[in-house]
Amino acid sequence: MSWALKVDGLGRVYGEQGPRSLPGTGPEHGTSVSPATGAVVAAWDVGFEVAPGEALGIVGESGSGKSTVMRCVAGDERPSRGSAYLSAYDDGRTDVLALDDGARRRLRIDRVAVVYQDPAAGLDLDTSAGGNIAERLTAAGGRHFGRIRERAAELLELTEVPLSRMDDPVRTFSGGMRQRVQIAKALANRPPVLLLDEPTTGLDASVAAGVLDLLRNLLERLGVAAVVVSHDFGVIEMLTRRVMVMQHGRVVETGLTDQLLEDPQHPYSQRLVAAARG
Amino acid sequence: MRTVTELAGTGGPRGIFDELSKREVRRAALTAVAVPGYQVPFGSREMPVARGWGSGGLQVTLALVGPGDRLKVIDQGEDGGVNAANLRRLVVGHVGCEEETDTRRATLIQSRHRIPETPLRADQTLVLQVPVPEPLRAVEHDVREQRRMHAQEDYARMWVGLYEDLVRNGVVTKSAGYPCMVNGRYLISPTPIPRFDVPKLDQAEHLTLFGAGREKRIYAVPPHTRVEPLVFEDVPFEVEHTPGAACRHCGATASYLVEVPSMDGAVAWVCSDTDFCTRNREVR
Amino acid sequence: MGYSGASGGHEAVLAAEKLVERRRYGGASAWLGIDQITGRLGLAVDRVMGEGGLWAPELAARALRQAEGDVQEAAQLIRAHRSTVPRVAYSEPVHADELRISRRISPAFRNPPGSQLLGRTLDYVGRLLDLMPEDQARARLQAADPSPEPVPAAHDLTANGHPTANDHVTANGHPTANDHVTGNGHEAGGHDGGAHGDPRRPPRLLRLLRSMGMVVDRRTEGDPEPYDITRAPIRPGVPRSARLTAMARAETGALVHLWYANTFQPGRHNHEFPGEVRHGALPVRVRHPLTGAPVTVTEVRVTEVETIDDLDRAEEDRSRLDLGYGMCFGHNERKAIAMAGLDLLVHRDAGRTGVEQEVLLTLDGIEASGFLEHLKLPHYVDFRSVLDRKRAVRAAMEEAVAR
Repeated sequence: MSWALKVDGLGRVYGEQGPRSLPGTGPEHGTSVSPATGAVVAAWDVGFEVAPGEALGIVGESGSGKSTVMRCVAGDERPSRGSAYLSAYDDGRTDVLALDDGARRRLRIDRVAVVYQDPAAGLDLDTSAGGNIAERLTAAGGRHFGRIRERAAELLELTEVPLSRMDDPVRTFSGGMRQRVQIAKALANRPPVLLLDEPTTGLDASVAAGVLDLLRNLLERLGVAAVVVSHDFGVIEMLTRRVMVMQHGRVVETGLTDQLLEDPQHPYSQRLVAAARG
Repeated sequence: MRTVTELAGTGGPRGIFDELSKREVRRAALTAVAVPGYQVPFGSREMPVARGWGSGGLQVTLALVGPGDRLKVIDQGEDGGVNAANLRRLVVGHVGCEEETDTRRATLIQSRHRIPETPLRADQTLVLQVPVPEPLRAVEHDVREQRRMHAQEDYARMWVGLYEDLVRNGVVTKSAGYPCMVNGRYLISPTPIPRFDVPKLDQAEHLTLFGAGREKRIYAVPPHTRVEPLVFEDVPFEVEHTPGAACRHCGATASYLVEVPSMDGAVAWVCSDTDFCTRNREVR
Repeated sequence: MGYSGASGGHEAVLAAEKLVERRRYGGASAWLGIDQITGRLGLAVDRVMGEGGLWAPELAARALRQAEGDVQEAAQLIRAHRSTVPRVAYSEPVHADELRISRRISPAFRNPPGSQLLGRTLDYVGRLLDLMPEDQARARLQAADPSPEPVPAAHDLTANGHPTANDHVTANGHPTANDHVTGNGHEAGGHDGGAHGDPRRPPRLLRLLRSMGMVVDRRTEGDPEPYDITRAPIRPGVPRSARLTAMARAETGALVHLWYANTFQPGRHNHEFPGEVRHGALPVRVRHPLTGAPVTVTEVRVTEVETIDDLDRAEEDRSRLDLGYGMCFGHNERKAIAMAGLDLLVHRDAGRTGVEQEVLLTLDGIEASGFLEHLKLPHYVDFRSVLDRKRAVRAAMEEAVAR
């Protein structure tokens, strides 16, 4: 198989789950709220594949459903329907969305890692940078203090965090530095799939540029399959080769990132591109 | 149909614990033995001692003890302390079993904070009083989340705690009540026994039952069960030890010694296990 | 007598017990009769029954005397006593509408249906230490109120089933001295007693608010059988009946503290309106073992509160109000009001914060004070372990400095 992650027919509805909730929602209706039931169709019929070493972007405004898709794939919430497969789990034969909570949580240890917009969502701020990475390493069975220290140092070096800060609580770090620690933690057990949710949103422009540079280098070097969720075409352009545009819970356009930026077809894509080009 | 009087049964001498409740405790204890280290919730009753004063250990002991038993009760290793004496007279008065201080002859031992120095046998049962049963409380406040962590064997945050301790202090600072993995599955607090006593739980001949009355849980370490303190492979588990210390009564150096300070700064040491100390003196 | 000498523990315990008994049975003062305690210290007896979780005025009075007036200790005695007695029957559910009131106030309306009944309350009696000599006070009472009827002891209603105190019911919201309701449940004062016509069982404000469409209805079928917290451990996620039982047995001060502390939390508390504050008697019925018919075996006095609060969260129905419920044994309004407030607080919190856990696990006075006081027990084995680690840390620090 050529993919590391495959998602099929993913949907997430808040409120009544039945088919009554679907009609009247989507981009052509300009809403994701069902007129019949009031349910919110946050995402519907979303599918994609990501190959090792490849990065896929999901772009859209807030409320477009892009973060819902990411949270469902990550296991932070359960989708209403759809399936997802990881080549690194049971050779891609098992729908990981159907696994029980414990098994899903274990996937997060070394198969699928997530970097959140807010470092506090992925880190314990009162724990040291090294300790945060140790959480992942011990979850994967690491029991040798010396080797845990070595690996944590290696990861902090990789994400350009000064080793002198390794034993300081993350709370004492700047926003950009926290995000680098979160990336180090996500990479701790060499996951084949990495999900990035607005990884630079909320950082100052110059700091964000540094983190983006780091991420681009890492994605090129590590051979990881990445999904990058962002409202910002600038981020998508820098990190991804392919992109999906989402609006009101549906995918409205997919394509190669540079081509789509060059020649967006869907009016919504055109608007997003225009906004990014400023 | 039975009358209310029949339902109420005969008056008889009033116990401190009704029979149905004892059965419930036994059922919980059996579940605990079947799932080593798992904290079995039970409908803990109020006892004639305050919550936190051995009400859990007392319920377990009362559910197990019979008139033919020889009961030893110790607190801090001592048979003669006020709390041990009080619990012993309560059970003996209730059941009519024999009081015992000699560890070797006791069939049932209720203890607070110690495991006797003399190794226990398969025909003996140890009941430990538990003030705080939940080891995860050190890292997690929410009891629902604690249950999830146990269910999913998600103990990474305990390891992080250990990692942080070593980074900050250079040594593991957790003193008594050292968290342990039972049978490679469940994390327990072995009650505030000193680290010195933790190895005695590993592959022991005897059954240990832990009763937490206030928090309404019973758990167990059955005989021949692995009990491993949470430690990194390359940072050895340290037990309490003071070089040169010896019991001033019996001269023992390998028992658990407690300090007897004096205002002039001189420190003497005595065995905390008074039964062991007495017999050790006789041997000398 | 050593605190924990090698063999002196038993003797020390016996000696302590002797000193306690000397205080309990000895001394020069007059012996305190059970009827004096139930009659003169009724509110303390009520608290013991509430926190002990057992309606038994005479046992509670006995416990209070044994505990030298320590309510907490007396409640502990009652709880331990409960563990020794078998359960011969379970009472039938009783609707709170059957509550026969001796006091009912509703701060939410001036003239609520069913009227206000101020009843016996300390609320408006001057909070001044009464220094009048007892014989003068008795003579004054005799002169002002030469009622042939003796004032019953606080817990007598279980004996005769009817409160006969001189309670005042009015229809206009102002208690007046001359409107009397006699104890047999029939109106004597000739005034509007509400929809039922029975001023002792006034209609509920909740019913009115429901008919106005002003309260959300969150009755569910999910909690049909009351959760018995004395038989099953309580933990977050238990049904509401478990939460209410836990609070009914909670320590009054702890409930008041938690409620009060939450009033300082932004977003945690609006201004509540107790729609009902009731004190009265409820029948206890069990099924007759031969006929199977429900039989009233006794009555219990309870305080009941339904407190109303505003809904203002985004996910709440902001066009309506919601209701919290409190009920406890005896006359203890501050407990029932705090309980009702916390019931609603936990519901509205919906797991956002740890307040549910706090309510379920930290309010029991017997557990809290037992754990606190256990600190007095010998801890020298673990203290030695702590000292050992402190020395280890010190050695590690010195080593680090040397390097």
